[in-house]
Amino acid sequence: MSWLYRIVGLFPRLVIARRNISRAKARSILAAASILIGVVAIGAIGAGGAAFKQSQLQNIQDQGATNVFVSPGLDMEQSHFDREDLKAIDETVGPAGVVATKSKDMEIVKQNDSRERVSVTYLDDPRAMYEIGRGELPDNWRRSIVVSHDYAIDRGIAPGDRITLAPEQDAESEAAAAERTYRVVAVLQETQSFGSSSIYLPIEEAENRHYSQVRIMTRSTDRAEAVADALRDRFNDRKDKVLVFELTSLVRLLKQVVNGINTFLVGLGSISLLVAGVSITNTMLMAVIKRREEIGVLRAVGYGKGDIVRILLIESALLGILGSAVGVVIAAVVAAVANSVFLGNPFAFTPSAFMYLVGAVAFGVFTSLLAGVYPAWRAANERPIEALRG
Amino acid sequence: MAPDISAPAETDQPGADREEDRQSPRDAGNDVIIRGESVVKEYQTGAQTVQALKGIDFSIQPSDFVAIVGPSGSGKSTLLNLLGLLDVPTRGTVRLRGTDVSTFSDGDRTTKRKHTIGFVFQSFYLIPTLTALENVEMPRMLDRTPKKTRERAKQLLRRVGLGDRLDHYPDELSGGQKQRVAIARSLINDPAILLADEPTGNLDRETGDDILELFDELRAEENVAVVTVTHDAYVAEEADRVVNLVDGEITDADEAESNGVVEQ
Repeated sequence: MSWLYRIVGLFPRLVIARRNISRAKARSILAAASILIGVVAIGAIGAGGAAFKQSQLQNIQDQGATNVFVSPGLDMEQSHFDREDLKAIDETVGPAGVVATKSKDMEIVKQNDSRERVSVTYLDDPRAMYEIGRGELPDNWRRSIVVSHDYAIDRGIAPGDRITLAPEQDAESEAAAAERTYRVVAVLQETQSFGSSSIYLPIEEAENRHYSQVRIMTRSTDRAEAVADALRDRFNDRKDKVLVFELTSLVRLLKQVVNGINTFLVGLGSISLLVAGVSITNTMLMAVIKRREEIGVLRAVGYGKGDIVRILLIESALLGILGSAVGVVIAAVVAAVANSVFLGNPFAFTPSAFMYLVGAVAFGVFTSLLAGVYPAWRAANERPIEALRG
Repeated sequence: MAPDISAPAETDQPGADREEDRQSPRDAGNDVIIRGESVVKEYQTGAQTVQALKGIDFSIQPSDFVAIVGPSGSGKSTLLNLLGLLDVPTRGTVRLRGTDVSTFSDGDRTTKRKHTIGFVFQSFYLIPTLTALENVEMPRMLDRTPKKTRERAKQLLRRVGLGDRLDHYPDELSGGQKQRVAIARSLINDPAILLADEPTGNLDRETGDDILELFDELRAEENVAVVTVTHDAYVAEEADRVVNLVDGEITDADEAESNGVVEQ
């Protein structure tokens, strides 16, 4: 007697159930296929949705979701922050990168004397917020400028070039319109960050220290949210002294929307699994009716009701396991495609994608098991002799 | 008065049984395998209550060969149900080796059935996807003693003359061979009683005779009692005793025999 036979002999009900499944192959395959469809629906939608969500969150993160932007509020006396305000903000947020900037529009004077509007930001050190791509920023940054990646590409600007800037020529400031030429020392790396300018100037070049915006850089969206709340608490007690803008609320909204859509779609997928459950119940009922006599014999020769129930439940669970096993492979392939589309790496499964896949399998097997309960109960409660005498 | 199925003292029965019986006919628990007293079985069909058995007495002893005959609807199936511990009486008592079966739970009855009673059916009811050997092993599959079960199953198949058909599937066997497999299956748990429901009903006369012969041999060798429900007069003739059921009551044994013939 082979060792395999001995091991198999330890799980007789499983053996009986497996044999029963391979008896009506077409019917078993169809029942398993219905579970497969449900598992693929839940797994693929869930895991694909997770990849989509991840990519969108990544996008938002890249655009500075860990940053909090503070601008003067409507109820502030002046429309800028001064050093005192800066100090207060610094105290409120605690240890975080606080960068105060002054942004405005200027005009770039070209060689043919034509002018073009350009957004300019004065700040202490661009390296606090951005990476330098080309060129180098001197330790003592004075009278030279840094250009954003996109602007440099558009205009063909390279470190070493010279750019002449002039204040915007609007009616009042015409008189003071003094042109100034700066050397480009660096070009920033490409960034998707929100609120970036084309040209960066040292804060010393500004006519005053009136900051139009303060950017607080944190390490996580959660921290950013905490900072934003602290700022609102401190400054906007009764009046809107500051405008606090942070992307975390956007992140939360996005998460909510994506999760909502995903839950809805997964819910639809689950319905297909419920339909699959009905199909398993139907298959098992047919099997039970077809094997009525056989079950009667089993009962007569000493198989208890519990044995019959267990054998049939194992049978329907096996159908579910079969369908789920194939289904989860297909769902994983679909999710891998979604991963490569959204995240650029087919194997970048997020934890929640895994959870959807595992959940789909668990749900598939559980549904099958549940679907087998009624047929099993019915078969076990059949009176053996009635079954055997027609 | 409904006569006892068990042999009256005058009929030819093993002496020891007769002695015991005479001494304490009600409590011969050691020898009587199953005994029914004033057994009534009622079924509810719609608003009507149908009495399938109307207070009968019976008892089965080791090596008995009892034939139950009677027209359809006479209560044969019901009696078979009760003998096979597949049902309990509405009134009266059925005792298995002295214990009232109504005190058993469903699980207990299943266990007792497994170890006391073997079933043989008219339509054999072999599982088509299992070989002869596997079919015989089937009742003991849950015991997790594959080696012992296999040995016993082989031994039984050899005993019924199918030692060379172990790995054949039911559709590769003749009717008589199938019934032999079914008999081997019924014996795998060494039962005290073989309940055979029309065991020769699907077989030709000659094959049927072989099966009856096999029953005789098994009664002698395995000390197993055979109770058969039958329409066949010649099966009834082979039996030690004939129980004629008419309308839920046992009629006189002689009458029963003639009735059995008439029915043919």
